[in-house]
Amino acid sequence: MDILPGSFDREFTLSELLGGISRKKLSAALATLLGAGFRLSSSAGEVLAGTTDDLPGGARVAVRHDLEVLGWLEAAAAEDQVGAAATLLELLLHQGARYHMASALHIEVVRTDYEALQDQYAALQASEARYRALSQQLEERVQQQVGVIETAQRQLYQAEKMASIGQLAAGVAHEINNPIGFIRSNLGTARGYVERLQQFTPAIRANPPLAEAWKRADMDFLIEDFGALLKESIDGADRVARIVADLKGFSNVDHAEVEVVDLNDSLRSVCNVAHAQVSPKAEVVMDLGELPPLRCHAGRLNQVFLSLLLNAAHAMDTRGEIRIRSRHAGNELRIEFADTGHGIAQDVLERIFDPFFTTRDVGQGTGLGLTVSRDVIAAHGGRIEVQSAPGKGSAFTVVLPADGRA
Amino acid sequence: MADIDETNRKITLKLVYYGPAMSGKTTNLMRLHDLLAPELKGDILTLETQNDRTLFFDLLPLGFLTPTGWLIKLKLYTVPGQVVHDATRKAVLSRADGMVFVADSQRTQSVNNSESFQNLEENARRVGLDFDSLPLVVQFNKRDLPRILSEEEIEARWAQAPWPLTFASALTGAGVRETFVRLLEQVYPHADRQFSLTEAHGMSQAAFVQAVAGA
Repeated sequence: MDILPGSFDREFTLSELLGGISRKKLSAALATLLGAGFRLSSSAGEVLAGTTDDLPGGARVAVRHDLEVLGWLEAAAAEDQVGAAATLLELLLHQGARYHMASALHIEVVRTDYEALQDQYAALQASEARYRALSQQLEERVQQQVGVIETAQRQLYQAEKMASIGQLAAGVAHEINNPIGFIRSNLGTARGYVERLQQFTPAIRANPPLAEAWKRADMDFLIEDFGALLKESIDGADRVARIVADLKGFSNVDHAEVEVVDLNDSLRSVCNVAHAQVSPKAEVVMDLGELPPLRCHAGRLNQVFLSLLLNAAHAMDTRGEIRIRSRHAGNELRIEFADTGHGIAQDVLERIFDPFFTTRDVGQGTGLGLTVSRDVIAAHGGRIEVQSAPGKGSAFTVVLPADGRA
Repeated sequence: MADIDETNRKITLKLVYYGPAMSGKTTNLMRLHDLLAPELKGDILTLETQNDRTLFFDLLPLGFLTPTGWLIKLKLYTVPGQVVHDATRKAVLSRADGMVFVADSQRTQSVNNSESFQNLEENARRVGLDFDSLPLVVQFNKRDLPRILSEEEIEARWAQAPWPLTFASALTGAGVRETFVRLLEQVYPHADRQFSLTEAHGMSQAAFVQAVAGA
């Protein structure tokens, strides 16, 4: 029998209520009780057990359940006998009803409980998904924060390093400045003296004994060479003075203030500072285009340029060429350091910006130069582009927005 | 459920005894079975119980024939009161035509009473019954026990409620019939509107109550 939802309290028919009972055994029992001539029929007239023949002279008793007549029991037997059999049937029906109602209700309850569980399950899944998304977000936030802290730490480390180098450089520059000043000044005076000595040459030539001694001492050459020596010394002293000035400017890395500078000046200054380290390894070719003044942290950009220049020099296995090229294109400034060094292998290229990644020997590099350079350029709203061909050379290009976002 | 069966000329009304566990719902039904003498009265159909507690429901069918020969059948159900059987309560409550809320008068049972009443309200709404207009009688049972709330206290607490309040002691039978009569009085107007009991079947409210509950 089908059990419909919400139907546990519906009305049952006679055959439904007798559904769980062997009809054959029931018929046999009734036949024994009432004799062969009996009939059990539903109120609709359907014969459920016994004969379909006419039963003349018998008794007919209603079989009731739940106040209603569900069927009839007829037999050619005494009325009280048929009545007793009907009572037995009614007791069976009562038990049948109990079973049907309990099972139908049970199914209904199980179904609603199941639905409730499914709803709960769906709600749980939704909340789990929400928590998973939250934890994902949290993870990302933590990663972000870690990134920020690492960047800050690297910059701090580099800044500290540069600050102590800067202090040293500033101290040295200051100490050299005074002596180089008077050396330059004295050399100038000495050159004047030599010129004045030269003016005596005609007078000495006019006096033969003196002229003879002059010639023997090769004084003509001496005086001429003396002037040349002094000129060279003056040039050298000037160069020392210029390097000291650049060093002083360069050492101002802890100057956090934003300045407006011409990056070409910065590039020249960096080349001067690095001249001693770079010149044995490479020829530096400057190809500087017109650049607009840029608002930036000049000291920090100098650091970046120095890093790139020294890296380029370091890439030389034999003496090569480093080409520094500056251009203003659109609203971008592009500073390129192209070298003819040994280049960078692909697997290394992927890691060059990683903190503490270095290909140099222990103690030779911190592995922070490019990392900090990238951070500094990013802080200016720019980027560093890299192209490299192993065996042929590399080109690092610093790209900065021309409107200076520092 | 208020079924009308034109073929068999039968109207069926479903009345449900609701309330907290052990408040005396089944006892009410057993007393009614003894006290009432309608034209037709079936045996109480009791489904499984556990330590005297109803697990499914009890059912008492009552009925009478109208002057027009129609069978009016009333099916009285109880629900299991224990909290865990909520789904069963909902199934039994569905399509009810009237309810008796059987509360336990003992002072210690106030919380259970109010939780069960809230549960009735929620379940009624869940099975789509209009709780505010549904016939409902509130019975405070167990008046024979000590340490119970006084009638004054109960009346004061329920003063704002729209439902009739009765007091009973189902164990002795006191108030059981009266509660049922109050329910019939509530149910009759609804059934009359639905099935034109007065006009089509010649059953006035008094005759209706008389036919079910006897003199």
